[in-house]
Amino acid sequence: MTGKELLLRALKNKGVKFVFGYTGGAIMPVFDEMDKQGTFKFIMSRHEQGAAFMAQGISRASLSTDEPQIGVCMATSGPGALNLVTGIADAYMDSVPIIAVTGQVATGVIATDAFQESDVVGVMLPISKQTYMPLHAEEVEQSVHEAFYVATTGRGGPIVLDIPKDVQNQPVSENYRFDARRFRPQLPGFFIHPTPAREPLQQAIELINRSERPVMFCGHGVINSNAGQLLQEFAEKVNIPVAFTLHGLSAMPADHPLSLGMMGMHGTVEANRAIMEADLLIAFGMRFDDRVTGKLNEYAQNADVIHVEIDPSEIDKNVATSVAINADVYRTLHVLLGDPMLTYKPRRRWLEKIAGFRQVMAEDLRQEIEAGVGEGGKLLMKSIIHQLSEVTAGKDLIVADVGQNQMMAARFYNYQTFNSWFASGGAGTMGCSLPMAIGVKLARPTERVWSISGDGGFQMNAQELGTIMEQQLDVKMILLNNGYLGMVRQWQSLFFDGRYAGTPMQSPDFGLMAQAYGIPYRRVETLAEVAPALQAAIDHQGPMLLEFICDPSELILPMVPAGGGFEEMMVKRPQPVAADGGKP
Amino acid sequence: MKRRAILAFMLDRPGVLNKVSMLIRKKMYNVDTLTVCSARKPGLSRMTITLREDDPTRVAQVISQLEKFTEVVSVKELDTDHSYWREVAIVKLEIEGLHLESFQGRYNFEILNQQENEICILQVAGSTRKIDAFLEEIGQEHIIEIARTGVTALEK
Repeated sequence: MTGKELLLRALKNKGVKFVFGYTGGAIMPVFDEMDKQGTFKFIMSRHEQGAAFMAQGISRASLSTDEPQIGVCMATSGPGALNLVTGIADAYMDSVPIIAVTGQVATGVIATDAFQESDVVGVMLPISKQTYMPLHAEEVEQSVHEAFYVATTGRGGPIVLDIPKDVQNQPVSENYRFDARRFRPQLPGFFIHPTPAREPLQQAIELINRSERPVMFCGHGVINSNAGQLLQEFAEKVNIPVAFTLHGLSAMPADHPLSLGMMGMHGTVEANRAIMEADLLIAFGMRFDDRVTGKLNEYAQNADVIHVEIDPSEIDKNVATSVAINADVYRTLHVLLGDPMLTYKPRRRWLEKIAGFRQVMAEDLRQEIEAGVGEGGKLLMKSIIHQLSEVTAGKDLIVADVGQNQMMAARFYNYQTFNSWFASGGAGTMGCSLPMAIGVKLARPTERVWSISGDGGFQMNAQELGTIMEQQLDVKMILLNNGYLGMVRQWQSLFFDGRYAGTPMQSPDFGLMAQAYGIPYRRVETLAEVAPALQAAIDHQGPMLLEFICDPSELILPMVPAGGGFEEMMVKRPQPVAADGGKP
Repeated sequence: MKRRAILAFMLDRPGVLNKVSMLIRKKMYNVDTLTVCSARKPGLSRMTITLREDDPTRVAQVISQLEKFTEVVSVKELDTDHSYWREVAIVKLEIEGLHLESFQGRYNFEILNQQENEICILQVAGSTRKIDAFLEEIGQEHIIEIARTGVTALEK
């Protein structure tokens, strides 16, 4: 057997069904072998970045199914591999396990600046969890198995396998044996602590029982460890409200009475105010990034912090903990739920206070959503997302892009299905939505998938319409077109004297574009057309592009200015201010 | 700023040093010294890194992020009270033999090569401060070239 055969054998052994990618000189042998064997469903992206996001879609969406899969993307050496970079860095920031296989020039010419050569391992080192470059066919299978182990053990992350072309073709010796079932990676320093230690758990329970104004935090770790149900049970058992990070959304129903919605920069008033006044924060699977905390030295000053997190390097990184539980979220919740010492408290005053916070913006938002259009008579994004939520009963899978469209989708869709929200969080990669939605659809084919983008992000990976066309993928596309890069425009109108530098954008005729790809299209300009258009997309079997002409002056509020504390949270469109409010 | 020594054991594989130095750069430190040798256990390397940082929580961050690397087996900070930090300097000097002898008692150096034209190569080992003091006392005007290993450290 040869390196390429062993690579494919190992991928198959790890349950891979789809391979996303783009061929080229240095990966041709693998593609050839893949075609010969027909083992995997190959999806050709139109740009390697798309392939990386499709792989992410598979990993993210399938983790809550009966058959979790790891997304695999493949590219050739040099530019092919380098085009994967953004998708891999994005997966690293968001703890998504994917495997990227790249062809490399033959070992004989490595480091001679050969055609399409680049130092892929060097480039990928700081943006991936691990990199491998097998230099002999006999190392290939072991590298792949170790790659899957590292990618999925503890906090997930992307792995890069850079395989020289001659190694792909090299046969192994007759004595070569590899037993996948018996294989254990030799990594003496790589271990995780999935089970919570007893002592901090007892301290945590004491703090929880003593606390009068606690808030629970639900992060990506809750989704990744499939602990949504347990989190909800725990919240109900101790009667503590739950605030969500961007990636914690959809862990439990968004309209649950204990849900405070999203926290942080564009979080809800109730989440942020509750955090300000809390005496205890119980954080599950999250990393307290700056979009969540705002100004660190003003963050939750009176609160003890219990931090449950699988990655020990996240504990005490940004926020000092009172009790650190370095463990898997699912196991921790499981143990906590079984502990008889935990007590239910009515917390009447605390919950009443929070009910008051809920009212701060409720009426304004209700009116805006009902009006559905802004001052210029153009559609409001929040109203469109609200209607989408209504017509789908909050049950569909939502893949957002980055920017205002993402925050609107995070805030105004009423998530009912576990793990139904997908977006680029840490890296904030515009253009992620369309390719990621392709992966999500393939991982969960029986569920309806909506890709939501702005006009900026949509055009960053619009070439993947070709993939949707070729694969006849039933992805419903919502394009919120306001003619600007909306989120940056929002900052400009708030902090840069309303000077719109580099944000106005001319777009093509999206109807013709859709037509070119044979994808049905509808343009929606009035409120009355919104629901029928959404219904039409639902009724149509197959992909459809809906373009909504949106009000560019719409703001996503509340907003905590970058680097500011929650005290500075804006809940109303402010009067024009001086240009020293913040930096993007 | 306070000088810190971090001791790390890691798998002896290509690219690991690269990862370690990249992390230190990412955390915006300039490496003071970095020494690598084989550890007692075959297949493992032993690395001593010194850098300047006053804030102990930031050092703890570097350590926990180093520990995250799959190849890194263990990492800890060594403090001067509970460990020995030593380095070796090889110094090429132009100096009179008689003058040099006056330092012998205090610095215990070893002469590697001495030629008639008063060019002398010697090695001196000890703490960073001791080597600094030795070089200071010898006088810059006598020194032609210095090679220093950087700090390696061992816990008491």
